[in-house]
Amino acid sequence: MSAALAVAVGGLFAVGTFLLLQRDVIRVVFGVAVVSQATFVYLIAMGGIDEGTRDLVPVLEVHGGGVPEVADPVVQALVLTAIVISFGTTALALVLSYRAYEENETMDVTEWT
Amino acid sequence: MSVLVIAPLLVAVTAAVLTLALGRRPRVQRATSVAGVVGYVGVVSAAVWALVLGPAAPGAAVYQVGGWPAPFGITLVLDGLSAFMLTIAAGVGVASILFSVRYVTPVNQRVYYHPLFHMLLVGVTGSFLTGDLFNLFVWFEVMLIVSYVFVAFYGTDHATAASFRYLVMNVFGSALMLVAVGGLYATTGTLNMADMARRLATPEAYGIDPAPVVGLSALLLAVFALKAGLVPFQLWVPAAYAAAPTPITAMFAGVTKKVGMYAIVRLYFTVFAAATVPVDLPGITAASPLGFLAPTLGAMGAASVLVGGFGAVGQDRLGGLFAYSSIGQVGFIAVPVAVAAAADPAGTLRGVAVAAALVFALHHALAKGLLFLSAAAVEDATNTDRLRDLGGIAGRSPVLSGAVFVGLLSLIGLPPLTGFFGKFLAFDAAVRGLASGPGALSALALVALLLGAVLTILYATRVWVGGFWGRETTAVETATVESGQVAVVAALAATVVLVGVGFDPIYRFAETAATAALDGEGYVDVVGLNGGDGA
Repeated sequence: MSAALAVAVGGLFAVGTFLLLQRDVIRVVFGVAVVSQATFVYLIAMGGIDEGTRDLVPVLEVHGGGVPEVADPVVQALVLTAIVISFGTTALALVLSYRAYEENETMDVTEWT
Repeated sequence: MSVLVIAPLLVAVTAAVLTLALGRRPRVQRATSVAGVVGYVGVVSAAVWALVLGPAAPGAAVYQVGGWPAPFGITLVLDGLSAFMLTIAAGVGVASILFSVRYVTPVNQRVYYHPLFHMLLVGVTGSFLTGDLFNLFVWFEVMLIVSYVFVAFYGTDHATAASFRYLVMNVFGSALMLVAVGGLYATTGTLNMADMARRLATPEAYGIDPAPVVGLSALLLAVFALKAGLVPFQLWVPAAYAAAPTPITAMFAGVTKKVGMYAIVRLYFTVFAAATVPVDLPGITAASPLGFLAPTLGAMGAASVLVGGFGAVGQDRLGGLFAYSSIGQVGFIAVPVAVAAAADPAGTLRGVAVAAALVFALHHALAKGLLFLSAAAVEDATNTDRLRDLGGIAGRSPVLSGAVFVGLLSLIGLPPLTGFFGKFLAFDAAVRGLASGPGALSALALVALLLGAVLTILYATRVWVGGFWGRETTAVETATVESGQVAVVAALAATVVLVGVGFDPIYRFAETAATAALDGEGYVDVVGLNGGDGA
């Protein structure tokens, strides 16, 4: 499972980076979105992807007694927050790219002023 | 627990909400906005005096948001370092908003200018106060999203293109930061900076292996260097600075860039310095992440000094010139930080070098704020900021020119101005670093600083001779500078002189800040990690 996630994260980062390096502005925005997704998968993986046990919640294991058998909730909270931020940023990127297209009259970012 | 710690954030958020609600009543909105920043200055001063500098001050205080004990909740910490940075933010903020009211056209102010300005303050304040790594990421995003909008503010072809490029670079940076944060969480099992420092100091007690911290902290360094505009991540700076409204550019150069430098100092010296991890890279062998920071940041800083200096000399527009200059000046902040990282933890050099970096940050915020605002005043009056179209402003507006003169001399580093102490301490740190650990890199950094200082003289002279001396050009002949704008600029110039003349308390403040930055154990004690049974 870890190997599969590692491949997924690596693949997403590769695709995202490839898209970010394109000339077409829409592909760049897609690249932004894909790179963000790659980090979300990575973040979730950092919490451990095995069935919930005590050792998976290091912060509780050290600081609290009677740890329930759960997966790490902290990374999930982090990913939720990061998704919301990424949503806002991607929306702004789309608006900006449309406006920049209107002003510069081309979709090719290398031809922008 | 002190409410004063969170008060600056609350004031800024309240002002943002109020100015948003008052969008239909422009005069009231402007007054509220100015009052909001003045209130911000008030609470920052009160908090800094009551908690850090005053005679009965504890030196540092903490606020656990929502009453959740650390390390479970989000912790806000106001210590010497945060206090110093907040003071800079408040000072530049008040000058910037007062100038904005007289500079940005009323129509443009009515759109989201004032709410955005206060949200920028919110993001900056949060970054300086937070004691939680993920929370730092969130405040960065608050600051950045506002910055994207400000860069695109005028909606021209240049502005939208600059904003889009700035956004893409920073989103990639944020992705890297998330990777680093996630990795550090997996490695240390905590996001609270104090908890992380404690665990890294005694990894065996917590059953963690701190080896990945070196690589993860290097990722963070790249992200923070991007925010600070250090070479090789400086590409966004000139276009973004040129596109944003100039009072905001003063905030970008004076405050948001410093957030990147602050984060480097805070995380490396307060948190990662505690870790003992063997670093074994080609050319770098050391016993802690600081051993990696020293050569890397030193090289980046030296390169920034040179790129900024040479870039500024070749610029024709005042805005572009000052933008490149601020790339160089951030290099002057980075080099002392690198010297501090290379210094012996037990010696005095580390504290001296961090204090030098902080003093330079203060100097740069004041002088560059002054110069950007002056450039805005000149452009407002003459409709151009091209040096070839300018000339003889000294005869047309002696007060504005006098202020610019003070700013340029401070940039060059003439006593008794603030810039003299900034540059003197930076060179002092670099020379001491070379003396304590002779090496090719420290020598090169010193040479770069010297060359950078010469280049500063060169471009400052160009600005003065090209724009302010000589005969009045046609653009200048008919120009009248706005008195309100000149008043703000003159007040900033007076501050530059006063801080330089009465430098002693400022230096003691910087020393307090440096001590706080280096005192990881003190930081852990202040945060008081008494959540659960880990206490």
